[in-house]
Amino acid sequence: MLGKLSWQAIPFNEPIPLFSGAAVALILLGVLVWVVLRGYVPYLWREWITSVDHKRIGIMYMLLAAVMLLRGFIDAIMLRGQQAVAFHSMGYLPPSHFDQIFSAHGTIMIFFMAMPFVIGLMNLIVPLQLGVRDVAFPTLNSVSFWLNAAGALLVNVSLVIGEFSRTGWLPYPPLAELRYSPGVGVDYYCWAIQISGIGTVMTGINFVTTILKMRAPGMSYTRMPMFCWTALASNLLIIAAFPILTATLAMLLLDRYLDFHFFTDTAGGNSMMFMNLIWAWGHPEVYILVLPAFGIYSEVVSTFSGKPLFGYRSMVIATMAICIISFMVWLHHFFTMGAGPEVNAVFGIASMIIAVPTGVKIFNWMFTMYGGRVRFTSPLLWSIGFMVSFVIGGLTGVLVAIPSADFQLHNSLFLVAHFHNTIIPGVVFAAFAGYTYWFPKAFGFTLDERLGKWAFWLWLIGFWVAWAPGYVVGLEGMTRRLQHYDDPQWRPWLLLAALGVTILLAGIAVQIWQLIHSIRTREQRRDLTGDPWNGRNLEWATSSPPPVFNFAVLPNVTDQEPYWDVKQQALKALQLVTPEPQYQPIEMPRNSPTGFVTAFFATVTGFALIWHIWWLVILGLIGAYVTFVIFAWRDHPEFVIPAEEVARLDRANREARADYLRELAR
Amino acid sequence: MSTEVLRAPPDPYHLGHRPASANAPPQVTGHGAGGPAPKRIVVGYGFWIFLLSDVVIFASLFATYAVLFKNTAGGPTSEQLYDLRNTALETACLLASTFTCALASIAVGERSQKWTQIALACTGLLGAAFLSLEAREFASFVARGAGPSRSAFLSAFFTLVGCHGVHVSAGMLWLGTMMAQFYAKGFRRDIRHRFLCFTLFWHALDIIWVAIFSLVYLVGTEPRQFLP
Amino acid sequence: MSTESPDPREYHYQAGSYIGEDRPPGAAPDAGEHTVRREVHGYLLGLALAAGLTIASFWVSHTGVVYGPALAVALLVLAVAQMGIHLIFFLHITTDPDNTNNILALAFGVLIVCLIVFGSIWVMTHMNHNMMPMSELIQHQP
Repeated sequence: MLGKLSWQAIPFNEPIPLFSGAAVALILLGVLVWVVLRGYVPYLWREWITSVDHKRIGIMYMLLAAVMLLRGFIDAIMLRGQQAVAFHSMGYLPPSHFDQIFSAHGTIMIFFMAMPFVIGLMNLIVPLQLGVRDVAFPTLNSVSFWLNAAGALLVNVSLVIGEFSRTGWLPYPPLAELRYSPGVGVDYYCWAIQISGIGTVMTGINFVTTILKMRAPGMSYTRMPMFCWTALASNLLIIAAFPILTATLAMLLLDRYLDFHFFTDTAGGNSMMFMNLIWAWGHPEVYILVLPAFGIYSEVVSTFSGKPLFGYRSMVIATMAICIISFMVWLHHFFTMGAGPEVNAVFGIASMIIAVPTGVKIFNWMFTMYGGRVRFTSPLLWSIGFMVSFVIGGLTGVLVAIPSADFQLHNSLFLVAHFHNTIIPGVVFAAFAGYTYWFPKAFGFTLDERLGKWAFWLWLIGFWVAWAPGYVVGLEGMTRRLQHYDDPQWRPWLLLAALGVTILLAGIAVQIWQLIHSIRTREQRRDLTGDPWNGRNLEWATSSPPPVFNFAVLPNVTDQEPYWDVKQQALKALQLVTPEPQYQPIEMPRNSPTGFVTAFFATVTGFALIWHIWWLVILGLIGAYVTFVIFAWRDHPEFVIPAEEVARLDRANREARADYLRELAR
Repeated sequence: MSTEVLRAPPDPYHLGHRPASANAPPQVTGHGAGGPAPKRIVVGYGFWIFLLSDVVIFASLFATYAVLFKNTAGGPTSEQLYDLRNTALETACLLASTFTCALASIAVGERSQKWTQIALACTGLLGAAFLSLEAREFASFVARGAGPSRSAFLSAFFTLVGCHGVHVSAGMLWLGTMMAQFYAKGFRRDIRHRFLCFTLFWHALDIIWVAIFSLVYLVGTEPRQFLP
Repeated sequence: MSTESPDPREYHYQAGSYIGEDRPPGAAPDAGEHTVRREVHGYLLGLALAAGLTIASFWVSHTGVVYGPALAVALLVLAVAQMGIHLIFFLHITTDPDNTNNILALAFGVLIVCLIVFGSIWVMTHMNHNMMPMSELIQHQP
């Protein structure tokens, strides 16, 4: 009746997952009870869960990412802790647990922390910067978010019901095949990623269409902000790469469920094909993460240098070049698998070439700062920390791009240090910079700047203390994913790495405190005008937070940095230069529970597939299809905001800005 | 909010198919600088991008099929299994259904309920014929011990051709829904947009079938020594 | 936004309007005279060409007309030609500037497909050449 599911799925005899699962369950229950008792449920349902507003969806994505950052970081603490103590000893994590933890750490950090953070920031900001009201397909946007959340939920459920995969963050066969991984772990992984992968592809479709077909009047391609260009490149990569992941995991699932032989070690299967396909996705994936990060840095650096971005056209060309070349380097992830010197050479050279456009970008950011009036706020500190750290990480990347060097360094800690050195300063620092920079736009008040700077320094120092030793032990021969080790030469470095992780923990604690403290003292840092940083692009033309329709009248764009020009004119005249527009009623898409309900059925179906509960699978699929038909059948997808309401909200924004100008005039 | 549309740059290479006329309003085409596009274009383009992502899935499956083609594990090979007459019939059905789908789009353009339903019904019948031929072929393979579990080659074949079949089945469900919506709600704008997406989908499925019958069935039945 | 006398090189667009149309992919061009007759003729021509190419593919693969080892390439070329016929006649993809975005998306897709298919074949052919077959590997395991 319940397939493979039984009471034995719950880890009663394993203290760590049992206690952590119980703790999480209690916390969740507590939050739910508090929400219900305080009567927040109708508000949450109406304003957030069923929302199709890109700003709300973006905030929810980032909330998901923040929670998953905590989970992934706890995994990291456990890993570093194990490696610190497991010298001539088995440590405190048995191998089967250790394997699940490093698999979960990678999976969560990439799929459910980095992706949601980056997609969340794109959701929040891209329509505002393009000067439009919402993305091309708002309800699809909601479905995307909730499917991502469903995937994250499944991965976390595996902590308490069943087990997670032990194959690393990418399930290589033959280990991931049924014969060598008969448990449910790999199934949890595959179904969670498939479900969230569908959501991500939908996001890609949504944003490519929005950026190419929906921009403010007059906003030609060369007038688009840099963040929108990088968002375009990233979403093109999503559309091109994620289907490969879907197909490859589907083939693995067919092997596991229906006895197919794509990657098995019998009946002619070829495991190497899995590595080939999965990395054809995997390499574009890291560029999907890092390109919007580069876009964030472009925005932050130009705003806090008080100068337009240096070399806009070269930035655009570099971004699109990275987009295309990222599809031509994937074999560098498996130089040692045996393709031979001719093939290795081609991909090695391509991998070195792809470093060039990134170098162009670094120079452009430096030249943007040079000669500018630089304000060392915490977003800019994150950017400078990135520039220095990422260059080093990129250099080690060029090093491992040489096939002969890679034969020594493949799967060593050197490699692990390299990719943490590019992802953490590249993506995570950008996430924090973007979070601080755009927080006032989303919520109407800035974060505490002093605590933000403390968090930055703790992160920067902690990161280097944690990962510089990785390069050293990698060169000394330490392989990745070791549950215990005997080489005394590595020991001091691993202890140092554990210290580094503690410093990072302090950094995260400061960030949590920063958020709590900033909310409590928010009245002191209200953003009244909507433009707290003296910004340059259109998102700063709206109030903070913007009204649901973003702009009462779509702005006319006549140049790059349209908001900056209008602002300079207004500051010179010390009054608003644009006359009050003629307000029209505005049609906005209606909220819809489609996303939430579809994701509910997706979770049910995924769980049922994992545990082989076939009748539940069918019910779940029918439920999802019925939801879709009900959505497709509705007659009134939009509602009208009357002109008076539009006028009221827009006038408040104009008043606030006029007040500010009058203050200046005094 | 008085604004004027001023002279747009002329089209010196006359790349468009429009009559070049001095009195024609200036066109800002393809560069999106006139503001957000109308819904029809947004919906159509979004679906075009979705089709791109679908084509990438098929590309991965094609690549896998090509790589695993020779891994027959001592079991049946392509020339022992593929029946080209069946393939020719399936191709004819699908090509004809693409044509009837195109006729349906003319009918929708003319807002003729009768011809829309007739053309869509023909498309559906031809699609159903295709699916039944394919199901029969799969069943016969399985009966001969050449099911997907027999070898890597057969796994790849069943998945590639089966994935196309699953897409055709989903298309049939969609077709039925479109017929019902046209019947119940007439030629409302959003339903016509959805139908535009459906025609894109159906034509794309025939394009993929062209690749399948050429590179799977025809290449698979050529003499072995000529295979690359 | 500002309403001074405009620079003749600048374009002022009425906010919210859309001047000039892109064509969505799949939609028949609606400029110029077209009648049901012409549309049907267009689709019939597409059908005929596609059917012709299909028959050619079947024929080519079963007569000795094409040099043996080149057969797969010939079939690939015929398949690509037929896909082109579908794109032009049924999906109305043209070189009109109002189709630019559609063509760019198509070109991007074609690039990705080629990279995946030919890249994988190239890589895996080399791998298979250099690596011991799985069945032998299993035999050598302790």
